[in-house]
Amino acid sequence: MVIAAIRKRSNFLWTVLTYLLVFLLVFPVLWMVLTGFKTEIAAITIPPTLFFQPTLDQFMLAFNGGFSAYFFNSVVAALVSTALALVLGIPAAYAMVFQMRKKSSDNMLFFVLSTRFMPFAAILVPLYVIITRLNLLDNLFTLIIVYTAMNLPLLIWMARSYFLDLPQEVLEGAWLDGASTLQTIVRIVVPMAAPGLAAAALLSIIFAWNDFFFAVTLTYTNAPTLPIMVAAFTSNEGLFLAKVSALSTLVILVPVAIGIYAQRYLVQGLTGGALK
Amino acid sequence: MSQANQAVQIPTPPVMKKRAVPTAALRKERTWLHLPALAYMIVLTQISFLLAVWFSLHSWNLLVPSEGFPFVGLANYVNTFVNDPNFWPIMGNTLQLVAGSIILALIAGTVLALLLNRPIWGRNVLRGIATVPFLVTPSVMALIWKDLFLSPTSGMVNWLLHFIGIPNVAWFSAFPLQSVIFIVAWEWTPFVMLVILAGLQTVPGEVLEAAKVDGANAFTTFWRIVFPLLRKPYQIAVLFGTIFIFQTFGEIYVTTAGGPGISTNTLPYYTYRTALNSFQIGQAATLGVIGVVVAILAARGMLRLMTERTEAERG
Repeated sequence: MVIAAIRKRSNFLWTVLTYLLVFLLVFPVLWMVLTGFKTEIAAITIPPTLFFQPTLDQFMLAFNGGFSAYFFNSVVAALVSTALALVLGIPAAYAMVFQMRKKSSDNMLFFVLSTRFMPFAAILVPLYVIITRLNLLDNLFTLIIVYTAMNLPLLIWMARSYFLDLPQEVLEGAWLDGASTLQTIVRIVVPMAAPGLAAAALLSIIFAWNDFFFAVTLTYTNAPTLPIMVAAFTSNEGLFLAKVSALSTLVILVPVAIGIYAQRYLVQGLTGGALK
Repeated sequence: MSQANQAVQIPTPPVMKKRAVPTAALRKERTWLHLPALAYMIVLTQISFLLAVWFSLHSWNLLVPSEGFPFVGLANYVNTFVNDPNFWPIMGNTLQLVAGSIILALIAGTVLALLLNRPIWGRNVLRGIATVPFLVTPSVMALIWKDLFLSPTSGMVNWLLHFIGIPNVAWFSAFPLQSVIFIVAWEWTPFVMLVILAGLQTVPGEVLEAAKVDGANAFTTFWRIVFPLLRKPYQIAVLFGTIFIFQTFGEIYVTTAGGPGISTNTLPYYTYRTALNSFQIGQAATLGVIGVVVAILAARGMLRLMTERTEAERG
């Protein structure tokens, strides 16, 4: 009985520890959100203030600082590149699962994985030169092209793993009925794998949204995305903690919401289905 | 899957055979459906890489167009390896960043995974919340770390430390690389946690029960029983963590911009600076090619190390 009591007590302590550690882990994000509702004076006060009169002023300032233009660029770059990656990736995954011989399919998978492993910095120099020559620097179109390339491997390997799980009988039924490949993909494969494909698309949106490397190297004034706005905020206007916090809160809202929603698929998306 | 169907066919060939034909026939069909995606990836990554190799064999400075584009052979490589006093320290920084962040993330991620694998109230919500550092925009959160937490004047970390008598620390000047490592580890902890949690689902409950019956304590159970069963998840966490952390860029850009001096320059960051700050395209392409070789060697080395250990244990 004593042992049971000790065990119960230690269980309770472990639970408390778990809550405490998770709280500590996300504390920086929580504190940032809180700081966004402060005045600038309250934001730099030491000791930090936990209770204060919340204000929406900083969010207003962030909105008025050209937020909508950056937001537009971020949304278009993320959505269009994801759509393009879906259009290119779904047929490729279909071919790999249902049409290609095993060996060519495996080769293709290896190639897809290896492109995702290539350091971005390695292709930056040639891309920069080509893009400059084509006069496409600081163009939203360029970001879309680059993000599509960045997300295509992710989409192919996730789509592939969902297609492998589809019940073969249904597809064979469609083939027997004489459905064309396009019909099979559009009417059967995509609807049946929809939840997985949606998750893959959401992850692809997060990656494009969170990118800083290509956004900072390939854009200046016409096509910069939200992460660039945040970085420019501090360097141009000195240190405005509350304003930066408010703006940052707005920026991370999208990936956090999507990521928690698609949490289950997160690991799979990153590790190419090596771990389901 | 098609093999499974074929195995079922055997007892009733006439009906099932007809259904299995399209699969076999279609598999052999020539297909072009993967070609657009393949072409896209080849143009943007492979051809770009070949161009980088080509550029790396030339001297090319965009700021001095009169010098043109002369072929210099391997001079850029010699220059990088032998004459550039920054190169080897920067390789050291890169190694420290990758190894330091992944080790910290492995420890913290394992602790969180084990704690969140217990049946506690609100477990799924907690898991979701714990994922947040991994989802937030890296460059944005690095800035928040710098201004809200590690700032020498108004940072919360210094405020907390003064309670135990530690005077103000200017984190990004005194410990620049360590500060970046800490931020990167914070971001990657949830990734390790998710991978290990997924792995823990495959550890059979009976094994743990048996250990408990034998009187093993929690630490022994983890170290002797669970940890060896998690080899694959750890391999995946290390492999993918390393490859992605190697690419760290925004976190460095917004916190230290590579400084002070070159103390937080990593190979990718140095490549970027050589290309877009000093516009030495040939030299930057060389660094990019070296980066690819390093990434490939690291990935292959890790894979080999992992498979060798597996075989040794089998034998």
